[in-house]
Amino acid sequence: MDFKTVVDLPGRVIDRCGGSSRGEMTLSVLLSRAGLVSRVGSRSMFTSSKPDTANPNWLRVGLSFGTSAFLWGLLFKQHSTYMHEYKVRNGLV
Amino acid sequence: MVLVPDEGKSLPPPGIVNRNSVWLAGVGWCTAMLHNAMKHRPPLQSGVHRQVLAASIGWFIGYHLTKYADYTYARLDRDMNEYIRLHPDDFAPKEKRTFAEIVEPFHPVR
Repeated sequence: MDFKTVVDLPGRVIDRCGGSSRGEMTLSVLLSRAGLVSRVGSRSMFTSSKPDTANPNWLRVGLSFGTSAFLWGLLFKQHSTYMHEYKVRNGLV
Repeated sequence: MVLVPDEGKSLPPPGIVNRNSVWLAGVGWCTAMLHNAMKHRPPLQSGVHRQVLAASIGWFIGYHLTKYADYTYARLDRDMNEYIRLHPDDFAPKEKRTFAEIVEPFHPVR
């Protein structure tokens, strides 16, 4: 007996080769085809793409530079606020 | 997140360029370059936006760290001087004697 044969009681053969007894499209072949295009959470290493260095992710670049500009602006604003508060409290205005 | 309470606001704020800022900006920059190197990218030339962001975050944290350090030292100095003012007997100035008064007269034996 080959490995695809399903056996119920010893000696009694129920099924051969997967879902159908015909040759062309068995259930297991259809399921494996679906796995190639399904968008489930897991990814197999055969489908992941290499990081594309020629086309940068401009959204991420913009967010990084925008956050940096925001931080610098915040820093200068806070510094001037602290300086003004110091001068007011010590009568140096 | 308030590091320095209200009384610390009468202290002069640190300059924009200060030691902690420069150092932590350097740390951030090296972190970005190390990240590049670990991903097999050219360390200096790739991901300039990441390097700038990491350095900016370091500079910002360094500024507030310097401000907190200044406040802490000022508070400790104030408390110490207040204690000295309240306990003058423990801090009486010692009388100063010159060496001429201490040293015994010298009689050379040749």
